[in-house]
Amino acid sequence: MSYFAQALINGVALGGMYTILVLGFSVIWGVMGVINLAHGEFVMVGAYLAWMASDFWDVDPFVSAPVVFCVMVLFGYLVQRLLVNRIINRSSLVSLLVMFGVSIILQSVMKVSFSADFRLANTDLDGAWRLADRLTIPVTRFWVLVVAVGVTVALSLFLGRSRLGKSIRAAAQNREAARIVGVDIDKVYAVTFALCIGLTGVAGALISPLLAVQPFQGPPLTLKAFAITAMAGLGSVRGALGGAMVLGLVEAMLALYVDRIGTNLAVVASFVLLVAALVLRPQGIFKGLRHVDATST
Amino acid sequence: MRREAAGDPGSRERAAGRTVGATALAALVVLVVLPLLPGTSNATLLTLTLMLTSIGVAINWNLTGGFTGYVDFGHAVWFGIGAYAAAILISLQSNGPQVGWHPVPAIVVGALVAGVLAAAIGRVTMRLKGPYFSIAMLGTFVAVREIVRVWSPLTGGGVGLTLPPYLNRELFYYLELALVVVLAAFTWWLRHTRFGAALVAIREDEVGAETRGIDTTRFKTAVFSFAGLSTGLFGALWAYQNTFVDPDIAFVEVRTIDAVMGTMLGGLGTVAGPILGATVLYWLRELLWANLLDYHLLTQGVLLIVIVLFVPRGLVGLFDRRGASLLELWGWKGRSRGLRQSSAAGGEVEAAS
Repeated sequence: MSYFAQALINGVALGGMYTILVLGFSVIWGVMGVINLAHGEFVMVGAYLAWMASDFWDVDPFVSAPVVFCVMVLFGYLVQRLLVNRIINRSSLVSLLVMFGVSIILQSVMKVSFSADFRLANTDLDGAWRLADRLTIPVTRFWVLVVAVGVTVALSLFLGRSRLGKSIRAAAQNREAARIVGVDIDKVYAVTFALCIGLTGVAGALISPLLAVQPFQGPPLTLKAFAITAMAGLGSVRGALGGAMVLGLVEAMLALYVDRIGTNLAVVASFVLLVAALVLRPQGIFKGLRHVDATST
Repeated sequence: MRREAAGDPGSRERAAGRTVGATALAALVVLVVLPLLPGTSNATLLTLTLMLTSIGVAINWNLTGGFTGYVDFGHAVWFGIGAYAAAILISLQSNGPQVGWHPVPAIVVGALVAGVLAAAIGRVTMRLKGPYFSIAMLGTFVAVREIVRVWSPLTGGGVGLTLPPYLNRELFYYLELALVVVLAAFTWWLRHTRFGAALVAIREDEVGAETRGIDTTRFKTAVFSFAGLSTGLFGALWAYQNTFVDPDIAFVEVRTIDAVMGTMLGGLGTVAGPILGATVLYWLRELLWANLLDYHLLTQGVLLIVIVLFVPRGLVGLFDRRGASLLELWGWKGRSRGLRQSSAAGGEVEAAS
């Protein structure tokens, strides 16, 4: 029984991590229709920034996260101006390939600058709280979950209540109509992309004490973000939370009940979940900013 | 799609065809004669064999990615599966004595395993379209690699498998050369059949093709399985030459990236494109590898972006735009206006929205 409870706790904690990992990817896709295949690499860059702060100046990743956010917002803005602007109206093949190119570039720059060694950032919020015999809460993951829920609520409020948030949603629903009523589409796209890359960088900072920071950590993260988003609805903030929790729990339960299943095979789980969800319910499970429409005929 | 030459009479096209044919023949003669020259070392032969592998995989990728418009981001998975299936059969052991298969049946079965798995997986994933299919295939790739890593009694896990060495470079070289020639001829022939036309119809308008009575599921699964089988064959041959496989060298993203980039560089959905593109890319990379080891991946990423944004029709398209129509016959564009426009947009895959 306590094993089950522990798996439940682990699953929810993992879900918290996935939530913050997926939000930026989901909103970019929902609003701009661009599948950010370099998502995992932006996470990786954020993680490297937090690791540098931790290693060089002994700053806790939870403290450096806001700084990472600002740096990544700037970086996101630059990438949007230079590249993403050119591919928004092109076919999905073009945007996939260009973002794929960005991911290769980021991997290679990080490998040249920091080598491929595995790194971990240090945080004071580590260890575990004992609830009962053989039942613990991992402290870092708990705080990641808290931040994730906080960010989800904030983002949800921003998109739902603020004027800028409303124009972002309007642009997602009907671009031309939004333009006609005076929404500055270019600005909306720039803000959306910059903000989402900022969030993605924060996700990287938060997981830097948990997952090994290395240049090639990105692709599995992108894959998971894709799986969660396609299940949860494009750009749906609450859906991202729900989908992330589902994936987290599935992975934790798999680890409990299936022998010899490492974190590596978690990728298999998320992939099977993705294809099953898309084939069975191609229109997505939750309602997002944009329709999921995955079937070919 | 009817096989009509749009507008201009066949004479110019025939002349262009002769030029292209003569160039191809000359290249082929050079490739056939090269190993017979005294100065050719085994290392050169290996380099050329790897180039042929790269070309072969690009041709296969183009069958689904270029003709059918299903952009496969995990194509290297069939290479790895073919390699592993052959390696497992060859290095089979039972309590001591080797009971491994003879390499020839092992390689054939390895390719068949890849083909059967491609049929099974394609059956499911090809129900998804556009980016969903691409990512599902990327997922297949990552998932299969992890399964191979974990399934140690069969696959040797992360340690990998060692094969008995048999290093006749010339044999493999000629074998792969023949394979590439056959594949190129097959692609060219395919373009002139109803089957090939159906594939292009699926790319242009799948619902429309379905309405016209084309069994799209059967057609696209068939071509996907064939591509899987053929890439699996190259994988099996590679494994036998390499005499060693492990998950990280048999399943490499770079093989997919190369196939995609080579095809894009040469011209998506053309017969000559993948051959030309993969060759250029291969030598470009050798050059980068030799001169800028640390930055070769970076350069490749930049190159990919530049090709996609600025040369969407590839090298074949450049020739064509000049009006020289050198590659018209191979390039198969220009048969109808609609096709020409759509290949200009880079083999339009319908957007998800």
